[in-house]
Amino acid sequence: MDNTWVKLLPVETIPKIMNYQEQMDTEQQDHKISIKELVKKYETNLVKGLSSAKAAEILARDGPNVLTPPKQTPELIKFMKQMIGGFSLLLWVGAVLCWIAYAIQFGQGNHSAKDNLYLGVVLAGVVILTGCFAYYQEAKSTNIMASFHKMVPQQALVIRDGEKQQITADKLVVGDIVLIKAGDRIPADLRLLSAQSCKVDNSSLTGESEPQSRSTEYTHENILETKNIGFYSTTCLEGTATGMVISTGDQTVIGAIATLASGVHNEKTPIAVEIEHFVCIVTGLAVSVGVVFFILALTLGYKLLDSIIFLIGIIVANVPEGLLATLTVSLTLTAKRMAKKNCLVKNLEAVETLGSTSVICSDKTGTLTQNRMTVAHLWFDNQNHVADTSEEQSVQSFDQTSQTWAALAKIIALCSRAEFAPGQEDVPIMKRDVVGDASETALLKFSETVFGNVMEFREENTKIFEIPFTSTNKFQLSIHRNNNPYDKRLLLVMKGAPERILESCSTVMLQGREVPLEDDEIEVIQSAYLEFGGLGERVLGFCHQYLPKDKYPDLYIFDADSRNFPVSNLCFIGLLSLIDPPRSSVPDAILKCRSAGIRVIMISGDHPITAMAIARSTGIFSAGSETVEDIAKRLNVSVDQVNKRDAIAAVINGSDFQEMDPEFLDDILRSHGEIVFARTSPQQKLIIVEACQRQGSIVAVTGDGVNDSPALKKADIGIALGIVGSDAAKNSADMILLDDNFASIVTGVEEGRLIFDNLKKAIAYTLTKNMAELCPFLVYIIASIPLPIGTITILLIDLGTDIIPSISLAYEKAERDIMNVQPRNPSKDRLVNLHLASYSYLQVGVTQSIGGFLCYFTVLADQGWLPSRIIGIRLTWEDTTNNDVEDSYGQEWTYQQRRYMEWTCYTAFFVGIVIEQLADLIIRKTRRNSIFEQGIFGNKVLWIGLLSQVGIALLLCYAPGMQNSLHFTSLRVQYWFVAAPFAILIFVYDEIRKFFIRKYPGSWWDKNMYY
Amino acid sequence: QQQREEAEHRQPQQHPDISLTHHAKHNIKAPLTGFALHTMADKDDKKDLAEGAGGWKKFIFNPGTGQFMGRTASSWALIFLFYLVFYGFLAGLFSFTMWVMLQMLDDYTPKYRDRVSSPGLMIRPKVGSPLEIVFNKSDAKSYEKYVTALDGFLKPYDDLIQARKNILCHPGDYLRQPTNILIKKACQFNRTMLGDCSGANNSSFGYNEGTPCVLVKMNRIIGFEAGAGNNPIINCASKKEPQVDVKYFGSFDKMYYPYYGKKAHVNYSQPLVAVKLMLGTNETNRDLMIECKITGTNLKNDDDRDRFLGRVSFRVHITE
Repeated sequence: MDNTWVKLLPVETIPKIMNYQEQMDTEQQDHKISIKELVKKYETNLVKGLSSAKAAEILARDGPNVLTPPKQTPELIKFMKQMIGGFSLLLWVGAVLCWIAYAIQFGQGNHSAKDNLYLGVVLAGVVILTGCFAYYQEAKSTNIMASFHKMVPQQALVIRDGEKQQITADKLVVGDIVLIKAGDRIPADLRLLSAQSCKVDNSSLTGESEPQSRSTEYTHENILETKNIGFYSTTCLEGTATGMVISTGDQTVIGAIATLASGVHNEKTPIAVEIEHFVCIVTGLAVSVGVVFFILALTLGYKLLDSIIFLIGIIVANVPEGLLATLTVSLTLTAKRMAKKNCLVKNLEAVETLGSTSVICSDKTGTLTQNRMTVAHLWFDNQNHVADTSEEQSVQSFDQTSQTWAALAKIIALCSRAEFAPGQEDVPIMKRDVVGDASETALLKFSETVFGNVMEFREENTKIFEIPFTSTNKFQLSIHRNNNPYDKRLLLVMKGAPERILESCSTVMLQGREVPLEDDEIEVIQSAYLEFGGLGERVLGFCHQYLPKDKYPDLYIFDADSRNFPVSNLCFIGLLSLIDPPRSSVPDAILKCRSAGIRVIMISGDHPITAMAIARSTGIFSAGSETVEDIAKRLNVSVDQVNKRDAIAAVINGSDFQEMDPEFLDDILRSHGEIVFARTSPQQKLIIVEACQRQGSIVAVTGDGVNDSPALKKADIGIALGIVGSDAAKNSADMILLDDNFASIVTGVEEGRLIFDNLKKAIAYTLTKNMAELCPFLVYIIASIPLPIGTITILLIDLGTDIIPSISLAYEKAERDIMNVQPRNPSKDRLVNLHLASYSYLQVGVTQSIGGFLCYFTVLADQGWLPSRIIGIRLTWEDTTNNDVEDSYGQEWTYQQRRYMEWTCYTAFFVGIVIEQLADLIIRKTRRNSIFEQGIFGNKVLWIGLLSQVGIALLLCYAPGMQNSLHFTSLRVQYWFVAAPFAILIFVYDEIRKFFIRKYPGSWWDKNMYY
Repeated sequence: QQQREEAEHRQPQQHPDISLTHHAKHNIKAPLTGFALHTMADKDDKKDLAEGAGGWKKFIFNPGTGQFMGRTASSWALIFLFYLVFYGFLAGLFSFTMWVMLQMLDDYTPKYRDRVSSPGLMIRPKVGSPLEIVFNKSDAKSYEKYVTALDGFLKPYDDLIQARKNILCHPGDYLRQPTNILIKKACQFNRTMLGDCSGANNSSFGYNEGTPCVLVKMNRIIGFEAGAGNNPIINCASKKEPQVDVKYFGSFDKMYYPYYGKKAHVNYSQPLVAVKLMLGTNETNRDLMIECKITGTNLKNDDDRDRFLGRVSFRVHITE
């Protein structure tokens, strides 16, 4: 069975990827062809640019250079959806039936009976009101997003008519010549015509956090990899460049990804599925019971009008009118609570989705890591030293006494172009803004912490010459005046790729002394280099040389081109490695995920080794779990000989991925518990998410870049990063992590799980009294007794007394450690299951009805109507012309007197239900534990709920004017206690139920009574 | 076989893909559309449907496990037994609480009488539409039902029966009786007291002459002393001009009150007032709305909602 499943999908998916690749190749040739051809193709001029007229013409043809925003559902349709969703349709039917009943009565000449007209209006009002409420809630959560849409119009410097012009970026057209400098956002897809040490940040597109250098060379046939293209919406970090616009708006690569994202349908959230399922059950019940009794009533000889009124009553009694509003409020409350914990929920239903999540596909950069390079290790004096990589980094505790360290520290401080942005003296070092690339920033902050004021130190040791780092020479060199008054020699410092630095050295400094660099020493250094590299760290080598005073006096003119200074036989000082370290809260959070049964899969655009190192240090790869490669290494066999099933962990390289079919991916997901995907593309992310979903998992995806947006949308819950995240990612996501911290997701999961449990309790609470509302109607029809409870009364329970109590259950604390159980299985652990329904309806509900009936019979009997008299009395009772109906004691009653009597019954039944609902609310605090264990007073809001319930009931009973408007009568005080025995019974019975569930887990009782 | 079923069910999900390829051709410029297609296929819904249909049959009866509606026979028996015991217990508890409640009631008077604080009025005959008297005075058949009804209603008031069962009382005095005597005495209300409407002189109660008799009765309320000291007075009139002539027989004398309930006051004879509508030829073939009102200190007759409290309206239509 599974095989057919799996085989069908790959067939669909694979050709599409191929197709996409092919299209890329055939469509996007602009990076391959020569600039001459390009100029011809786009009819432009490299020096003069386009003419304004031509540009206007192209603009008219291609449209403005903006991304088409995703299609918005019209507000009216959204509103209408709310009006017919859920129970609304059923209630509309009820309202229409009311009006039909009224029309029939009117037709029969009974002009005064307006009850049905009003009831219809009330029902319609309920639908419209709850609809408006839901619409408002939805609109409010979308409004949070509106702020993200407001973007400052981007400017672009363009050459047109031979002049440099500043225009807004949306006016750019294909063929325009654009000038880019450091700090600019690239305004369209550009083919670079010239570039001066230009570096771009493509992370929003490819997920790669490293700055990419840009040049005019065509280096790769894949447009995403080649160096001569600058992509729309990426940022130029340094240098300058000139480029020709080759595509604009939706035709850009980013536009294509955005289109991909808008093509992905938003999956229905698990809670939406659950609510739909529940609405289905209740609607099915209402309709079937309604129809059965409609037919029954007709066959029993009731008139059509009466039968219709029965049908209305049954529908109103069956539908928990207030429940959907309650759910919305509960979710909103949780959303607010989550927002305080830095999880901003865009889509209310997503609140619960996080709780159901069984797989988290996490981005590496920024979420798991701190998104900044930090010094991780140092190597000098033949020794490894570990640096503190935590967020604060206040103290560096490694041994700093050696002379070698002093030399190394001096190089780190001097051989750097990075500087703190001015005016930040009061800001903690780690939080200061730095002008310079990521590595230099790390070094600057590192030396500032260990060394003191670096800028001052640099002033004392004036830089007189410098060769900046380039990708060709792979080192950086500078020459400084020395601040030591006894040593006026100039100091040459150099840092760069370790192999390049080692080449330039002939000595090495050990404990402050220079010794010749022997082969075995080189080997030691090499192995340290490899060790750091193996940890996924970027390694830099450092060396220096004091230039002899006689040869290099103070005013010596250094020249970079002739290299009139030593660049060999320098003195090797040490190595230093950098890493983007994991956030300190992450390992703990991942551990929590693991105990909560949530699988964390890392999807990274980075190199496999870096990705694996982070996986190890964050605990995504647990201690002792091995990859196939690790096993192969340990057993000293080749990778092919290892049984793949033995390896718990796996690192999958995205570039191998394209050859893998999804069947293989399914296999990987099934056979490895701990997986890291490295070097993945946006499409691959999407495929991975789909693969996880195929396994039946509820998948959460975190991401920040535009490249993540398709996956974010495909995910059951997309989580965008609030600080570094792009607007596209935030738009596609369901939730925004305001602090970019993975640990916040875990608190989100906890809240989500809690709300699922609590919604279950709220639903169980609400459904119970529906039985107590339904039973009176059924008995009324079958036994022909006076109506025990009115339709309006039912509405006042559903929308009056019961609302606050059911919301208060959202504040209930967890019954057990919810973070130590597996995530719920969406196909088995339903929000509303058969056990919940049967326990609520058939057990507690029936008990409640009986309590209600006791109230009803007591009130009637006390006034002279014994049960024996009222059974079968209905027709006489409801006959308006019969004004001397005899009761059990021989007294005679007018119609109106009987009506008041009936309203007293409504009130009594209502009070009975309210009293029993108090017990029902208390028992719903827990599903398994004893109430006494949970604490009766723990949930303050629940007590407010209980009080409000009694308060509203008192108001309805005793406020003046209630008798004729809502048919409530002032009930004698003792009737409030008639149902109390049944309330106590409900409490005791539920305690017994829970006791046996705890005592005999897995028993028949447990299986049938636990909901 | 199961596998094939499964595969068949999944067939439909490929259709959306096929239809969407057209879309791809239109949009060939966007390099990624080819991929977007796949995700756009909304296959999940169809899958659910297909599985739903198969699963439904299986749910009704699963031959593999012998489960019927998700439970085996023994499981059904067990759950049935559980509910039997549970509902048995509930029924027992309900019966017990009802019994306790009924024990607290008095056999002779209801606990509360506040819902019937003031009596309503009603008329006899009550046949067909109870508040309408429609007949042809020259057609005996058309008023026969009224005559029979009145005759039947007045049977217990026959003088002989009254004399045998009830006592003679002093008019103008309430017949208050001590509580320790359980069976209460009742005053005689003789049929002959109704004079022209007793049926003695005219066996058809004036219906043949177009001057029909209507009996007005006041609802019984236990312990209620009508008039609170004065005899209640009844007055009937047409709601619209011109007025009709009315003759009254009998009275709601104080001696008939208070009423002690049907268990204590077995032979109680409810007092009546007969209203003879002296209708002439002017009033034939015309709708008459007659309203009777009772006046007395503790008698309400102008309640907004209860149109029968201390008053009663009925329609009379006589044809010739």
